[in-house]
Amino acid sequence: MSVSSALYNTFFKRNSVFVGTVFAGAFAFGVGFDIGVTKFYDAWNKGKQWKDIRHKYVTEE
Amino acid sequence: MATFQAVKKAVALNPTVRTLPSGIPFAPLLNAAVRAPHDPHAHGESGPRSDVAPRWAGGPSLRSSGLVTKTYTSVSPSVNVQQRFISTSAVRKDAPDVPDFSHYRTNPESNRALSYFMVGSLGVISASAAKSSVSEFLQSMAASADVLALAKVEVDLSTIPEGKNVIIKWRGKPVFIRHRTQSEIEEARSSDWKTFRDPQSDEDRVKKPEWLVMLGVCTHLGCVPIGEAGDYGGWFCPCHGSHYDISGRARKGPAPLNLEVPQYEFSEVDEKLVIG
Repeated sequence: MSVSSALYNTFFKRNSVFVGTVFAGAFAFGVGFDIGVTKFYDAWNKGKQWKDIRHKYVTEE
Repeated sequence: MATFQAVKKAVALNPTVRTLPSGIPFAPLLNAAVRAPHDPHAHGESGPRSDVAPRWAGGPSLRSSGLVTKTYTSVSPSVNVQQRFISTSAVRKDAPDVPDFSHYRTNPESNRALSYFMVGSLGVISASAAKSSVSEFLQSMAASADVLALAKVEVDLSTIPEGKNVIIKWRGKPVFIRHRTQSEIEEARSSDWKTFRDPQSDEDRVKKPEWLVMLGVCTHLGCVPIGEAGDYGGWFCPCHGSHYDISGRARKGPAPLNLEVPQYEFSEVDEKLVIG
């Protein structure tokens, strides 16, 4: 109860704060979502991407 | 006068009915039980009226003291006595009579934060979806990696002698590079450029005065001008006769603008020009 009322008083009471929180949250969510999806993609395709097999073919001079 | 009064008294009769002090008429010999005479509108019915209380329930009777009405029992009213008012409109009230729904309501304090949180979460997801759509659409218009790999061109400037033109291909378009002589530089800088069609000083068009780099596309309709030709010693477009001077500025003919200068850089160490 106190958590929800604190949440309400902090974020939801003023519309400007609410909208600002929504946009900031959207930015953070977008960045986090990109990172998460990229990590999942790399883990799913482990050993198939060029960055994983590059050391087999490219020899540094 | 007196004779008239005596005559009047002799003629006047006693009243048959007098009024008691209470206002009730006093009629000692009135037969209240008399039956109504034959009524042609009664449709053949005879006897006492049906809406009159029966004899044993009471009623008027003649006593020695006079006519007395007495009731021994209470009888149901013979006629409908429901009250009828003139108006049947509803009773007016100060405030609408809303039922009390508080028993059915959930606690607004406990659900409010969750409701706003759900709304905000939907807003977060929608905003990030909208931002992603816009940015992905704009990225689809950007040049792809294979185009960007070919977007830069390196030119070795040490191979171009003074007073010579070089035409190279950059992003599908010709680029003129001229190694200008000192007299050409002075000629380009001394001209009164403020009166030109597209006023631009020579200092704005070159990074190093001896190297003039510009796109070889006529600003009129896109032909490729011919170098070292024209009335001003610069370029001449054979399609419609536009003349450009030694700084690539439009001087004569239909061309509306000077020849475009691309983005380029000099790399100092190995005398190279990088366009793009």
